[in-house]
Amino acid sequence: MITLKNIEKVYQTKTIETVALHNVNLHIPKGEFVSIMGPSGCGKSTLLNIMGLLDEPTNGLVEIDGTPIGRYRDKELSQLRNQKIGFVFQSYHLINDLSVLDNVELPLLYRSGVSAAETRRLALTALEKVGLSARTKHYPSQLSGGQRQRVAIARALIGQPEIILADEPTGNLDSVMGEEIMNILLQLNSVDGTTIVMVTHDENMAHKTERLIRFFDGQQVSDAKTATHEFQKV
Amino acid sequence: MIRHLFKLIWNRKKSNFLLITEIFFCFLVLFAVLSLVVHNVRNYSKPLGFEHENVWLLTMRPASDSTELNRQNLEQVLQRTKAFQEVESVALTTSNAPFAFSQMNNNLAYGQKEIMANEYLVQDDFKEVMQVQVSQGRWFGRQDDASHHQPIVINRALQQQLFEGEDPLGKLIPRNDSLNYQVVGIVEHYRPSSEYTAEEPGFFVRIDLPKNENAFYGELLIRVKRGTGVAFEEKMVKELSGITKDWTLEVSTLEKMRQNKSKLAIVPLIALAVVCSFLIFNVALGLFGVLWYNISRRNGEIGLRRAMGASSGQIYRQFIGEVLVLATFSLLLGVAFAVQFPLLQVFEVESAVYFIALGMAVSIIYLLVMGCAFYPSRQAAAIHPAIALHEE
Ligand SMILES: Nc1ncnc2c1ncn2[C@@H]1O[C@H](COP(=O)(O)OP(=O)(O)OP(=O)(O)O)[C@@H](O)[C@H]1O
Ligand SMILES: [Mg+2]
Repeated sequence: MITLKNIEKVYQTKTIETVALHNVNLHIPKGEFVSIMGPSGCGKSTLLNIMGLLDEPTNGLVEIDGTPIGRYRDKELSQLRNQKIGFVFQSYHLINDLSVLDNVELPLLYRSGVSAAETRRLALTALEKVGLSARTKHYPSQLSGGQRQRVAIARALIGQPEIILADEPTGNLDSVMGEEIMNILLQLNSVDGTTIVMVTHDENMAHKTERLIRFFDGQQVSDAKTATHEFQKV
Repeated sequence: MIRHLFKLIWNRKKSNFLLITEIFFCFLVLFAVLSLVVHNVRNYSKPLGFEHENVWLLTMRPASDSTELNRQNLEQVLQRTKAFQEVESVALTTSNAPFAFSQMNNNLAYGQKEIMANEYLVQDDFKEVMQVQVSQGRWFGRQDDASHHQPIVINRALQQQLFEGEDPLGKLIPRNDSLNYQVVGIVEHYRPSSEYTAEEPGFFVRIDLPKNENAFYGELLIRVKRGTGVAFEEKMVKELSGITKDWTLEVSTLEKMRQNKSKLAIVPLIALAVVCSFLIFNVALGLFGVLWYNISRRNGEIGLRRAMGASSGQIYRQFIGEVLVLATFSLLLGVAFAVQFPLLQVFEVESAVYFIALGMAVSIIYLLVMGCAFYPSRQAAAIHPAIALHEE
């Protein structure tokens, strides 16, 4: 699904040069649920941005479904993001002046050939999946953090992306709500077969996924199948 | 996408309220000033109905109250002026000569209709002096001496308002209990007040000196030969003073009077336009500032939209689109207000003037907001998605 080869990311500011990622090689196969852990500032978000085509590596190659994306223009990259990738952020990133339904519909506004009626239907289906059918007319400010994150997940999955990139999706939530979100993601992965890459600081969450990659100072330090997963599979 | 923009603006109507009112008032001021400008320009482009070049106005103010003596002098002045080689023709009139600061009007009634019209008292030769063109019927003259009625020539505006579809030639309009005006001719245009004044209904009444033994008229229009200058003016005034003794005589060219009148119309217009430009500049600056601020405030939203698949071009178009939608809200209000002027006929101005001004004001507002939105929107489109999301 996504392959990273020799990825290097250097942030260059006037005074300092920060190496955010160094020599990262990764392959995320289709259908996998991967979690990424590491201390703050080790480059996890940077990695996710590069996988999500929001940022370009300083060096190295990103391949999506075997196609290197290096030569794509902004318009083509945007279309790829729109069709293949769903994003979930720690801070939800909902538009406060739009209702839940309108927020969820957003990705399809940037996809041509989807009618308004079809968009609405898909948005309702997505909201049903995250258990928020009763809150479609609400505005983000009227929802709890967990509910907001569920709206964000509905928005990420309305376009039926092959992969969801989640950057600390439970980072702002208490353990109960975090659990809810985690269950939705697990469900998406096991039932719909959506590939998921999730950054987390929570060992428990990480151990519910198939594979755990640890980062330190911009480099992978470990990459292994999780015990829980092995246990579940047996 | 357009629906999305309307929804977004509508849901943000509270924070956009100030901008909407600002654009609304800007539109109204523009509409008012443009209406005035269009009105003036349209008038200016219409014919005056006379030729004022090489025409002088001699103003005579007698010093004594003796009607008989004054009348004697007047007739001598007429004789003498006509006799100058430099003079082509002369005609007496009243203080409402072309481009003079004076008006005279009268009520005219025909059938059920009654209107107020400008009245111009002129001698037969006025037609030659001012080179007025009669389009229907004829000018008055000697042949009217025997008539029981007082012949008048009316302008088209009067014909349209008083007679509407009817042929006015030969029609009688009561002047008083014993005398009727009779329409003998029509001129298409006559706008003596200024080049910027709209056509008003008006009519010419014949000055018949022999019939009115005691009448006195203090304004003499003189058409001089082309190229006649100040030297002749001095000579003429000197000679005429010899006849009139202590009368006050003043000569002015109609061209000079026209310029004075034009200035009077143009100067306030320019002042208004300057004030209006300042206002618009201020609004533009404010708009630019608000848009600029909005975009930096909406970094997170921009990053999010980019992540959801918006290309940089789509972000650009969204921000331009939002401003256009905003302007549309204001303009809907503004136009609803502005169309009341032609609909209710608040002032006596042609509806076309308002509609032209309306169209211009709408276009200018759209151009203005697009101009203000151009740079901020480009900045928004250039924001790097990863950085925009990071900053939130
Ligand atoms: N736009 C930027 N300009 C300069 N340096 C940056 C930029 N974005 C990130 N960095 C630096 O790159 C490194 C990696 O940042 P990144 O956000 O990927 O860390 P992270 O692992 O996601 O941390 P956290 O767990 O706190 O979210 C950090 O040292 C950070 O300061
Ligand atoms: Mg991070």
